Amino acid sequence: MTVTIKATGQKPVRAQVTRKRGLGTMRGLPFVLPYLPFLVAFGILPVAYAFYLAVTTDTGGWAGFDNFTRTVRDYRFLPALEHILLYTGMWLGSLIVIVVGLALLLHGRANRVTSTFRFLFYIPGALAGASSVLVWLFMLDPSVSPGSFLLRNVLGSHLFVESIAPGKLPFVFAMIAFWTGAGGWIVVMYGALNTIPHDLEEAARVDGAGPITIALRLKLPLIRKWIAYMAILAFATGTQLFVEPQLVNQASLGQVPDTWSSNQLAYQLAFRYGDFNGAAAVSVDLIAVALIAAVVVVKRTGLFRIED
Amino acid sequence: MRLLGRFASPRSKLHWLRRSLLLSLAMAVVLPAGACGDDSDKGKDSSKLTIWVDAVRLPVAEAYKKEHPDLNLDIVTYDGDGNGATTMQTKIQLWNRTGKGWPDVVFSQQVNDPVWMAQKPFEFAAPLNDLIPADLISKWPAPSTAQCTVNGKLYCVQDNLAQVVLWYNKKLMDQFGYTVPKTWQEWAALGSKVATEHPGYIVGNIGDSYGHWIYLWGNQCPLEQLNGGKLLINSADSHCTRVASMLDPLVKNGTLPPLSVFTPDFAGKYGGAADKVLMMPGPAWYAQAVFNDTLHIPAGEITAAPPLQWESETPVTTGQVGGGPWIIAKRSKNLKGAADFVIWATTVFNPSGKDARPGYPAYGPAADVWLKDMATNKYFAADPTPALKGAADKIWTGWHLVTYPDQPVWSNTVVTQLVAGKSLSSLMQPFGDALAQAAQASGYTVIRQ
Repeated sequence: MTVTIKATGQKPVRAQVTRKRGLGTMRGLPFVLPYLPFLVAFGILPVAYAFYLAVTTDTGGWAGFDNFTRTVRDYRFLPALEHILLYTGMWLGSLIVIVVGLALLLHGRANRVTSTFRFLFYIPGALAGASSVLVWLFMLDPSVSPGSFLLRNVLGSHLFVESIAPGKLPFVFAMIAFWTGAGGWIVVMYGALNTIPHDLEEAARVDGAGPITIALRLKLPLIRKWIAYMAILAFATGTQLFVEPQLVNQASLGQVPDTWSSNQLAYQLAFRYGDFNGAAAVSVDLIAVALIAAVVVVKRTGLFRIED
Repeated sequence: MRLLGRFASPRSKLHWLRRSLLLSLAMAVVLPAGACGDDSDKGKDSSKLTIWVDAVRLPVAEAYKKEHPDLNLDIVTYDGDGNGATTMQTKIQLWNRTGKGWPDVVFSQQVNDPVWMAQKPFEFAAPLNDLIPADLISKWPAPSTAQCTVNGKLYCVQDNLAQVVLWYNKKLMDQFGYTVPKTWQEWAALGSKVATEHPGYIVGNIGDSYGHWIYLWGNQCPLEQLNGGKLLINSADSHCTRVASMLDPLVKNGTLPPLSVFTPDFAGKYGGAADKVLMMPGPAWYAQAVFNDTLHIPAGEITAAPPLQWESETPVTTGQVGGGPWIIAKRSKNLKGAADFVIWATTVFNPSGKDARPGYPAYGPAADVWLKDMATNKYFAADPTPALKGAADKIWTGWHLVTYPDQPVWSNTVVTQLVAGKSLSSLMQPFGDALAQAAQASGYTVIRQ
């Protein structure tokens, strides 16, 4: 992920810029350097190792695409892929629409009100990862949940097992991810909105633009890059979903399969069947999907263009 | 601004650059070193004994520690690999890959674990034939040692036998004027009667990850039968379909809910003050562990009846739920100590009263002591031991242990759909298909009829 962003970032735009950037690179180097060893050790090397494993057999011989075709034909591969695409779609959609919407709404309010709301939005995000899933397990159990009337009337579940019925899972996981991740992104988007010069807004207002026009036609295009950045990161973490289904699998005593997401399938292939090459192939599939999505978003939004 | 000002002269710029380079290099070197600083392998002490147990077996390990204060014992609790989890597979793969970290003794809730532990690629379990004296092993029932035997060698000893019996609430049965059923047909008929006469009461449940072991294993449904290297999975066999059609009306009328006994929903609806469990086919370890500790059903109500018979078919067979094994690691540096612990845990440890072992001890002489204690246990409405003892040798031997867990398959193809309102009969085909896929993924050659 990060690798591409950096690599694309190196691309010179204009000759003049290159000269300027040569100097910039020198100055920037000390800032980047502390990060580089970690990037190599925990980013680039594992990815390279995964590529190596994915194209070799367990004895180290050349396997070509065998591991890929074998894992794609695995009866759990397509359902898992379907699950994560559905989940990522729901999550990404809600993230972009609601986060940007809320940030725009907040930005139009008086300062004291927004800081309270930003804090409120951020609170659920303080419960990160596994702990948030545990809280959600209780939230989803109608017998103990404070929102049990919602579970009964909206989700139609009277028992915990009904809350985590197979058809509802992508929605449930998207909801968990949204509430743990949205707060942080609202704060980021709010920060992005603050970079918009005040006189631009003022000029628009003088020209007769109302708050809605200002939000949609002025502010939104100006924070486009931040939205793209959020979309890339959210897509990558979305397709690599692991903790939520894994914990729900255990909490439901196996009613949710332990290969619900592609990442779980890779984990099971590696550590249950000892098929590290197959697992690496699934991981490479995931990297490829995330990379393609990132490149598309970067190209479409001009995320790394620096002249504007 | 001040920072930028420092770059004004080329010399100071170079100086600054060099200093930050040095600083970042130093950080890059120090940080990872600090992160792995404690990871030095101190070398395994041969007198040290690492034991992995589930929460239920924790008292055994602790009692052993108390008995042997001079031993260096490291007790680790884990999920017990229950409900078809793959905790042990993943851990062993990691230990094998890193070449260290193996515990000396492991208890698993999953009776089929030794099958894969004894084989490639795991090769975790040590053969016990040389570690436990033959005269001790001979006191485990033959079907129990058969389940622990892989390729002719003994790789585990079972902690307990988990034969399925019919648990029932004697107080309620007397109060309602019902007689205890002897056959599955009488039981099902009573279920329909309960639904109309006493709605809300239940005659069993089918929502646990092991429901198929209670209803299908006991009724000789061939879902895991090894025949000359091939695995028979025939969910269309009449032994399977006739059970499904018997259970469907009961699931529908609410006397056989698709809920797990271990959920708060179940305890709230049927346990404790509600006291709505009229009957429940279930394993021996349900005795106090489920009825008293989990469901809080008052003392003086529950007892056991012999396993149900299918019409007048003989011999009567029953299912098995658990029968967790003790396994010793092949790579243990303290095989003798490990064997001593396993022998102690299975043959010596046998407290009485409320501390009694939850399951029917697999080791014969220990079972006799346990049964004697159970017979006088005030919790039960009547002596449950004749039924338990009678069922011990009735576990159907046509259900073989395989390398993959079948519980998740049952849970996610059948239980979730029963909850959604589908009939068990309509789910037998998908269940068979999903089992076959799981079996093939684990390398079995599957035949479907």
